[in-house]
Amino acid sequence: MSADYADVLECLARNRGVRGSLIVSQTDGLVIDANLRIGQRGDHLAAFAATVYRRTRAAAGAADLGTACFLQLDAQNGYICAAGSGDLVIVVVTDPGVNVGLLRAELLRAAKSLR
Amino acid sequence: MRIATGEPWVDAPLQRFVDDARARLALLLHPSGQVLAQCGFTRAVDVMSACALAAAIHAAAAELGRQLDGKPFRELHHAGLERQLHLAQADTAYGSYILLTVFDSESSIGLVRVFFDTFAHALAAATPVMQRTSVPVFGSDFERDLSASLDAVFRVGARGRPPSDPSADESS
Repeated sequence: MSADYADVLECLARNRGVRGSLIVSQTDGLVIDANLRIGQRGDHLAAFAATVYRRTRAAAGAADLGTACFLQLDAQNGYICAAGSGDLVIVVVTDPGVNVGLLRAELLRAAKSLR
Repeated sequence: MRIATGEPWVDAPLQRFVDDARARLALLLHPSGQVLAQCGFTRAVDVMSACALAAAIHAAAAELGRQLDGKPFRELHHAGLERQLHLAQADTAYGSYILLTVFDSESSIGLVRVFFDTFAHALAAATPVMQRTSVPVFGSDFERDLSASLDAVFRVGARGRPPSDPSADESS
């Protein structure tokens, strides 16, 4: 992992309930850097999360809401949260009991630090 | 978009790949350049050129891989300004095939790669049990076989596609 990205991912991984985190290219849907558990499919997660984030931004733009900065996807067994910075998207996979508010603040801060 | 194929067992895996990966054009071919199925092309001459070029690029990349890495490169990606190209090899019990995919900003290389893996598994599973023949690919009847497969692809395509299908304009 490159030092800057590794620090960002390491910082996110310290939050309770975070299962894995990735930095993904928004246009390509490819993993740039990742901090994942064994068995997590980073390439799949990166491709789908980048697509969802890209389309969410497009939807926000179409609805005249400006730029989407944070995405939270509620699933049965946890959350996928994402925040973007330019072409990069930080994606975090969490347990259901995670403190989403705290994670949101951390993610936005992390996204800002990538600029 | 509808698949046009001379090999019915290819239809379902390729249709699913095209739908899931949001591909604009897809071409499944034998490494010799013979077409198995296509999606998005309207003219046989375009399919023929794309097959020849894809087979040549794949062969060149494979040889480059052998020389650099000791084993052939199996996957290639070119990014254009608006459209991108992905070329990769899918192995089946009956032999290897090459899938050429053209996509735009509706998709991404990450998605195409993910769905290509699924496609390769589905294709391998769908391969009918056939006796492998030892007939050389570049035999004297290659041109006849090539024409026959193109005819088959476009005959099925013409039957399968409604006349006003807007996806029929992809190759222009």
